[in-house]
Amino acid sequence: MNTNLPAAATITSVRRLTADTSLFTLACNDRDAALELSSFQPGQFLELSLPGFGEIPISYCGLPSACGAIELCIRHVGHVTSPLRRAGPGDAVGLRGPFGHGFPLDGYENQDLLLIAGGLGMAPLRSLLLALLDQRSRWGNLTLLYGARETGALLFLDELLDLTKRSDIRIQLAVDRREQCLEGPPNCRVALLPALLDGLAIQPEHTCAALCGPPVVYAYLVAGLKQLGLSGNRIHLSLERRMKCGIGRCGHCAVGSFLCCSDGPVFSLTQLQGIEGALA
Amino acid sequence: MAVDFIAERDLQRCLNLLRRQGEVHAPLRDTDGMVRFGPLPTGVLPDLTAVRTLLPPKKYLLHPRETILFYQAGSGYQLPSGDVPRLILFGLHPCDLAGINYLDQVFLGNEPDPLYAARRAALTLIGTSCAPDQFCSCHLRPSPLTASCDLFLQQIGGGFVVSCGSSRGVELLETVTELIQERELTPPADTRSFFGQQLPPPPRSELDPALPDWQNLAEQCLGCGACSICCPTCCCFDVLESGGLDGSSAERWRRWDNCLFKSHAQVAGGASFQKDRTQRFRYRYRHKYRGFGQLKRLPSCVGCGRCRAVCPAGLDLRPLAERLEGCAP
Repeated sequence: MNTNLPAAATITSVRRLTADTSLFTLACNDRDAALELSSFQPGQFLELSLPGFGEIPISYCGLPSACGAIELCIRHVGHVTSPLRRAGPGDAVGLRGPFGHGFPLDGYENQDLLLIAGGLGMAPLRSLLLALLDQRSRWGNLTLLYGARETGALLFLDELLDLTKRSDIRIQLAVDRREQCLEGPPNCRVALLPALLDGLAIQPEHTCAALCGPPVVYAYLVAGLKQLGLSGNRIHLSLERRMKCGIGRCGHCAVGSFLCCSDGPVFSLTQLQGIEGALA
Repeated sequence: MAVDFIAERDLQRCLNLLRRQGEVHAPLRDTDGMVRFGPLPTGVLPDLTAVRTLLPPKKYLLHPRETILFYQAGSGYQLPSGDVPRLILFGLHPCDLAGINYLDQVFLGNEPDPLYAARRAALTLIGTSCAPDQFCSCHLRPSPLTASCDLFLQQIGGGFVVSCGSSRGVELLETVTELIQERELTPPADTRSFFGQQLPPPPRSELDPALPDWQNLAEQCLGCGACSICCPTCCCFDVLESGGLDGSSAERWRRWDNCLFKSHAQVAGGASFQKDRTQRFRYRYRHKYRGFGQLKRLPSCVGCGRCRAVCPAGLDLRPLAERLEGCAP
């Protein structure tokens, strides 16, 4: 596949998740492109084109799929994502990817895993979560901490509530504030996300943490994880930057001497140590 | 030593012979006093005494704004098609050749950029020697970038010592054989000798944001971005798209971007990762002297002096780079 040329794809379904966020399922029109674009590591991203509007980097949100279906969770806030609100099944889009480095699944073998998502950060972590559950026996204890502004902004809440019925995963949710008219889900606290780390029982020498959230929350989460005894090489963060080209060329996404698109977007905390602005 | 020599009086004939191989572009002094690379009219000689052109030759490889994809409903996105005309760039100084070497590494590395690759293949590079001025630093700091070209014309009294740098250069030389004289002389070293040097890579340590220099420089910087526009190795580009009025077509283009602009690191929703000018200043410094991504630890300043010559605030990064990088920039 030519990485400079978007492959033709079609929207097959759209599911509104919240007032401003939708889950799109896409299928590539061409078999080779489908194979290439749906073979990814959780944490990697692709470049999604909406004809007439442009191209944006979006994290994979689902599982690598043999049938080539690609799930993308998109918040309608930008010059491409806003018009995507009007897009529906049958509409044409373009895809390039997968790009970057995802979460190091092989390094997670036999480890307890702590997934921490803030807001839209749940999108790439859903991909990781599904991949972990798909091969559940490869990992130790599995914990998901997920925080959002309010109950109505919690993404994939139905799926997460289903998962709470399983005994092999621990899920704790948090919302900054609770809407008066809504009763919160059973395992949801009114708290800021980093507060969920207070007193969390983990074995730091056997635990790896995977984080994705708004930049503002990282410094607090990292401080909390260090408090729990986790070392920098056991903490992986997915960074957001302005990744225009996806292939390390347009020069927009440097984080220190790394480029977020080709060296990341998933970095270990050790890699980011001492880099100005990496976590803020 | 025996060298190939073209007399100065034969330059016009030489250019006319070269014209048969493609359109010749060269530095020309315009009526506004500025020197620019442009098409060389027949009968006009290029300005080979000018130290630098306003814009570097990157404008031939990356147009300030260019269409990179067309979209048509039904057939999807397509790369632009069509032949790229052969072009001969005459009068490139070693710094500009090194700039092209850097761009080649960015755009012809993994996954070559199709537009750049097509233009680069159609380009013949003919270098000439120069005399550095007070803004130049090519002769003060060696560079790992190579100043390679197809033909090089070293200016010495009364003419040019000609040397080939590629098989294309050998072919070109054959087209001007009638003008070549064999001379016995040893040409003096020129600024080419500062390029293609093996150097200790830049320090691994991160730039210290607490250094007062950043604040001092950023306070004087007007954020106009001229230094980046005229830099031979600044190649950030933005990508934009617009739909056609027929509702079924679209065009995607890229245009030069600038890391000194606020919008450079801005993402959807308005958040920016380089909010203040000191951060943006460091971003540029890091790219010029430390490199990032696949070219991390490859300094990309070629010492052409354009940034210093055009800066309206007279900013000069050399003293800082001298301290931080450990040698004269």
